[in-house]
Amino acid sequence: MVALVIALALFFDFTNGFHDTANAMATPIATGAIKPKTAVALAAVLNLVGAFLSTEVAKTVSGGIIREGSDGVQITPDIIFAGLMGAILWNMITWLKGLPSSSSHALFGGLIGAAIAGIGLHSVNFASVLQKVLLPAVFAPVIAAAVAYVCTRLAYALTARHDPETGSKLTQKRGGFRTGQIFTSSLVALAHGTNDAQKTMGIITLVLISAGSQAPGSGPQLWVIAACALAIAIGTYSGGWRIIRTMGSGLTDVKPAQGFAAETSTAAAILASSHLGFALSTTHVASGSVIGSGMGRRGTTVRWGTAGKIVVGWLFTLPAAGIVGALTAMLVHTGTVGFVIAAVAGTAAVVYMFVASRKSHVGHHNAVEVEEAGQAIRFAKKKAAAVSRNNNSKGGR
Amino acid sequence: MKWLELVLVAGATLVSAVTVVVLYALGVRLTAIAGDFRSSQPGWIRPLSYVCFGLCGLAVLFGLYLIIPYFSK
Repeated sequence: MVALVIALALFFDFTNGFHDTANAMATPIATGAIKPKTAVALAAVLNLVGAFLSTEVAKTVSGGIIREGSDGVQITPDIIFAGLMGAILWNMITWLKGLPSSSSHALFGGLIGAAIAGIGLHSVNFASVLQKVLLPAVFAPVIAAAVAYVCTRLAYALTARHDPETGSKLTQKRGGFRTGQIFTSSLVALAHGTNDAQKTMGIITLVLISAGSQAPGSGPQLWVIAACALAIAIGTYSGGWRIIRTMGSGLTDVKPAQGFAAETSTAAAILASSHLGFALSTTHVASGSVIGSGMGRRGTTVRWGTAGKIVVGWLFTLPAAGIVGALTAMLVHTGTVGFVIAAVAGTAAVVYMFVASRKSHVGHHNAVEVEEAGQAIRFAKKKAAAVSRNNNSKGGR
Repeated sequence: MKWLELVLVAGATLVSAVTVVVLYALGVRLTAIAGDFRSSQPGWIRPLSYVCFGLCGLAVLFGLYLIIPYFSK
């Protein structure tokens, strides 16, 4: 049982990785700063490094949300299994739809649902849920959007160049931001590693403690850290091209200076929040930044339709993952047969969604999904690069 | 309620992001001036742009230094 839960946790880590590649790498891919394949490889390596850097978040994960310990209820591997099931299924569904939804919310939702169904309402500390999950979800995109807006404005104001005599616009020469994006997006990937890989480490540690093979209150063991880092890196490398498409071009058309501002804000917000103990969701922050940078540049329209769809997805994340978690917990509660049914049904659903994702792509071209999506983005990039080159040669000199 | 933490996170995010963006944007601007065809500007423009990029990098590294627990022990 414990081994199975750990395997499931690592699989969740994997889905977390490919779900969140977009947060770091959508904007540099959209502006052509980095080639798609290079971008995901870079993100994977930095996620790996980031996971080793800090284990602060792992120590606090899920702590307080479900009452544990002597005065509360004993959390069992069954509950964690059910919670993970809910989280993974919701991650797969949103990935299929190309929605950037929060993996952490899916995880919390799954765990809360499983705890309510498996133990009872009293097992969930709702004040803590409000404080640790719901309020950050409201503020994270707002903070990120505001900061990204200010940064985008500043970046454009500082690099706007006019001819002092005629007042006409000179060539703006903002190409430097494209190079800068390589660094800022790397920073976001690093931040993601320090933040999101931790959540799985926390879960596995929780399982080990509840199974009695680790002392309560101790931090994650080295092999747990290594396994989680590897799982999230592999997940990141597999690349969630669908979500990259939504984030990179679905919300607003991203220019290098905007991308730079958005990524800086994202990285700053994630690192600051995870360090200061007010954990924000990477996805919420990144989406907010992209929208904020879209509002910051004149002449850019934010596609509020897409933004609205994403927000609706966020609203559903917690309850949807919770319901799946609750159903799984009820099944597991009935005994070994129920447990087997839950495991088989979960695996079947994941496989089905994977097959469905392949099918929708074979419809357009018969290329492999990743190849095709990568090329779709690369084409757009080449066009953009050509346009900017034309502009440069027209306006320059 | 952790309002203080919230304000702290928002403030830290704003300060660090603005620092990095301003320094980098100045660097980009100075590079652009240095690369202008009419090179009537003094020769210290390009080195100054490198200084800006360098400071920007240092700001990022300092931020990481503050965060990674390994260093603060």
